Amino acid sequence: MPTITKAAQAEKFVVPIGPQHPALKEPGHFEFTVDGEVVTAASVRLGYAHRGIEKGAESRNWTQNQYLLERVCGICSHIHATAYCLGVEQLAEVEAPPRAQAIRVLLAELERVHSHLLWLGVAAHEAGFDTLFMYTWRDRETVMDLLEQISGNRVNYSVNTLGGVKFDITDPIAVDILEGLAFLEERTHHYLEVIENDLMFARRTRGIGIMPRAQAERLGVLGPTARASGVARDVRVDAPYAAYPDYPVNIILDNACDLEARFIVRVKELFEAYRISREILATLPEGDLVAKRMPRRIKPAETIMRVEAPRGELLYFIKSNGSESPERLHVRTPTICNMASVLTLTVGHNLADVPMILVGIDPCFSCNDRGVIVRSEQAAGDLWTWERLRQHGIDYYRR
Amino acid sequence: MELVRNVTALLIFPGGLFLLLAGLMYQWADRKLIAQLQNRLGPRWFQPIADAIKLLANEEIVPDGVNRLLFVGLPVAALAGALTAALYVPLFGFQPAFSFTGDLIVTLYLLSLLTLCTGLAGANTRDRFSLIGAVRALTQLFAYEAPFMLALLGPAIVAGSWQISEIITTTHGSWIVLTQPIGFLVALIGLMGKLEMPPFDSPEAETEIVAGALTEYSGRGLALFKLGRAVELVIGLTLITAFYLGGVGQGALEPAFFTLKSILVLGLLALMQSLMTRLRIDQTVGLWWRFGAILVLMQWLVLIVVKMVS
Amino acid sequence: MLKDVLRSFFRKPITEKYPFEKRVTPERTRGMLHWNPEACTGCGLCAKDCPADAIEVITLDRKAKQFVLRYHVDRCTFCSQCVQSCRFNCLQMSNQEWELAATSKEAFTVTYGKDEDVDKFLEKIGRPNAAPAAS
Repeated sequence: MPTITKAAQAEKFVVPIGPQHPALKEPGHFEFTVDGEVVTAASVRLGYAHRGIEKGAESRNWTQNQYLLERVCGICSHIHATAYCLGVEQLAEVEAPPRAQAIRVLLAELERVHSHLLWLGVAAHEAGFDTLFMYTWRDRETVMDLLEQISGNRVNYSVNTLGGVKFDITDPIAVDILEGLAFLEERTHHYLEVIENDLMFARRTRGIGIMPRAQAERLGVLGPTARASGVARDVRVDAPYAAYPDYPVNIILDNACDLEARFIVRVKELFEAYRISREILATLPEGDLVAKRMPRRIKPAETIMRVEAPRGELLYFIKSNGSESPERLHVRTPTICNMASVLTLTVGHNLADVPMILVGIDPCFSCNDRGVIVRSEQAAGDLWTWERLRQHGIDYYRR
Repeated sequence: MELVRNVTALLIFPGGLFLLLAGLMYQWADRKLIAQLQNRLGPRWFQPIADAIKLLANEEIVPDGVNRLLFVGLPVAALAGALTAALYVPLFGFQPAFSFTGDLIVTLYLLSLLTLCTGLAGANTRDRFSLIGAVRALTQLFAYEAPFMLALLGPAIVAGSWQISEIITTTHGSWIVLTQPIGFLVALIGLMGKLEMPPFDSPEAETEIVAGALTEYSGRGLALFKLGRAVELVIGLTLITAFYLGGVGQGALEPAFFTLKSILVLGLLALMQSLMTRLRIDQTVGLWWRFGAILVLMQWLVLIVVKMVS
Repeated sequence: MLKDVLRSFFRKPITEKYPFEKRVTPERTRGMLHWNPEACTGCGLCAKDCPADAIEVITLDRKAKQFVLRYHVDRCTFCSQCVQSCRFNCLQMSNQEWELAATSKEAFTVTYGKDEDVDKFLEKIGRPNAAPAAS
C-alpha cells in the first residue's frame, strides 16, 4: 500500500483528467499537479479529435466543403457553414439577398439558444446538480424541434448554400417559432433565478475562477468568457456581418469576473437571442432565397471572415486559386484561445473546482483540434508515415 | 428449532437473501422517485437486480501494485458488516432477530465499517483517483458521524435505554418526530452523508474523480460494495423510521405499515437529493461541524432540560 | 426550484416511449433519397456536388436518356445538396423513411431507374438478383 511519507511529499502528485474522463464530453488531456486538494500547476495536451479537415477541404469543391466544415463542430455547425459561405461569397463578389441573410441570422440566434441551453445543462451536471441538467435539456428539445421544422434535421441543419439559403420561413413555421420562444423565455427567467438565488449552487460558482479584466485581455479570451470579465468584445457589434447591421445586438457585459458572471452572461444572451429572433420574424424582408449567379470556379483571391459563434469569435481564412477547390482554408475557433485561461485560472483552486472552471469557458474540443507535434527525447523530430505509426502501435503492445 | 429459526433469520428472511433483494428494490424506488421529480421515466423495476447479477458474473481484474488479500477481502468485510448490523434492527417491522444491551452503538459502528472499508480499498491502490476518493470518504466520515450518532441517540434518551428492541417498544405509538424535529432532520441528512447521496457525494464525484475509492474495482468486488450500500440504505431507513416515526408494535399489519413509513422517508430523501448541488469536501465538513453539530447539541439540551424537569 | 420539482412529481414524464410511441415527423425532415428518372438529363451535378460520394449516375444511353442512379445510403449524410443541385427536380428526400438500420450491407446500395433500365444495368454488371428496382 503506497504511503505518503515526508520524502514522497516532495514528489509531485499529478491527477490526469482525460482523455477519457466523465468530466469531459470530448477528449483532451489535462494534468493537474495537486497538493492535497489544491492545484499547484496545470498543463494541457490536445489533438485527440483532429481529423484533418483543413487539408480535406483542399480536395473538395466549393459546394462540398460547406458540409465538411459544418461538421467541425456539432453544436455550432450552422455558424461554421455561415462563415464559410459568407467568405466564399466575398471571394466571388456575390451578395446573398436580404431575406437569405435574415434567415441565416435567425438560425444563428436559434443555434445560440440551443448551444447555451446545452451548456447550462452540462455545467449543472459538472456541479452535481442533475435536476437542473435534466430540466434545461428538456427545454432544449423545444428549440431542437423548431430547428427540425425549419431545416429537416436537429443537428447539422445544412440551411446554407453558396449564395443564400435553401429553406424558407413560412407563416405556420413562424407561428410555431414564436410559440416556442415564448415558452423558452419563461423557462429562462426561472433558470436565471435559480443561478442567482440558489445558495448551494452559488457556493460552487461565486468567487471561483476570478479573471480580472486586465488578465482577460492579456490571455486573449473571447466570447462570453471575456464579456463576463468586462471586456466588450463581440463580433456582432464590432464588425456586423450578414443581417446584423439591420438587427443590432446589445452587448451583454458583467463585471463580477467570476464563474457566476459567466453563467449570467450566457443566460442573458439567451434573452437577447429571443429578442432578435422575434424582431427578424416580424420584419423579414421579401425576396429571393438564393443569389442568381454563383460561379463554380472562383478567381484567385484571399479573404478573412469573422463571425460570433456561441463560444466567441470564429475566424475563417479562405484562399482561392481559380479552380473548383480552395487553395487553403484555415479555421480558428474560439475555444483554442480560451483554453490557456483554464491553465492559469485553476492554479490555487480546489480539485473540485477544476471541472467547473473548465466548463465555464464552454469548451468544444472537436472545434479546436490541431495536429500536435510531440517531441520526445529518444526520437528526433521527424515526421512519421502511417505505416511507421501502425508498426509502432503493434510493437508497443507486444512488449 | 431455535437453531433453524436463527439460521433462517440470518440467511433467508428477513436478513440475508431477502435483505439483499429488498435493498436493491429500495434503490430502484429511490432512482424512480428521483426520475419522476426530474420529469423523466427512470429505470424498470429489475434494473438494480440485473446490474448486481451482471457485476457478479464479470471478471474481476486485480490491478498491479495492490495488496491482493486486502483487495479481495475488503468488499467481503464491508458486506459482512452491513449484513451483521441488520440483525439488530427491526427490519420491515419485524422484531429484531437478536438483541443485547448497547446494541445501538454496535449497529452504528458496524454501519461505519462499510465506509472504512471503502476508504481502505481506495488507499490500497496506486490510482490517483482512488487515493483522492479514499481521503474524501474518510474526511466525510469524520464530518457527519458525530451529529448522526447524536441524533439517533435522542430517542434513546427518551426511552432510557441503549438497546434497540427496548427503544422501539417504548416509543411505540408516540411519534418522536413531533417532539424532536431537529433531531429528525439531522438524522435524515446524516443518512444522506453516510450513503454518499447528493449533495454529499463528493467522495464519488463522477465528474471530478471518476468513481472515487472504487475506481479500480470491477466484477465481484464492485458488486459486493454496491450490495453493501443497498443494505445500508435499508438499515438506515429502518432505524430512522423505527426511532422517529412511532416505534414498532406487535400487530399483524405492523410490517406493511412500517414499510409504508420507510418508503415515505425514502421519498423525503429523494426530494432532498434532487434539490441540491454537490458540495465540495471542505464545504461539507464546514457545514457539518458548524450547523450539524450545533443543531443536534441544541436538541440534546432541550431533551436533557425536559427530562430533568419532568 | 422546489416548486418546479414538486410540480414535476405530478406530471407525466416527458420521455418519449419510442418505439411504442412515435411522434409525427416534421414535413421537411430529410430522410432517404428518392429519384424520379423522367426529367433526368444525366448532367451529374448531383453526384459531383455530393460531399460523401453517395450518388453515382450511370449512363446506359445518353441520347435515349437512359440513366440509372446508384444511391449508397450508408455514405449519405442527408444534407440535401443533391436536391438543391438538380435543376429539374428529379430528387427528393422522404420524410417518412428515416429508420434506416439494416443487418446487411446489401440493403444500403439502392439502384433507382425505370424497370427496363435497371434490369439492363444489373445484367451488365452480372448480378441479376441484386437490389430491387425502386422509383
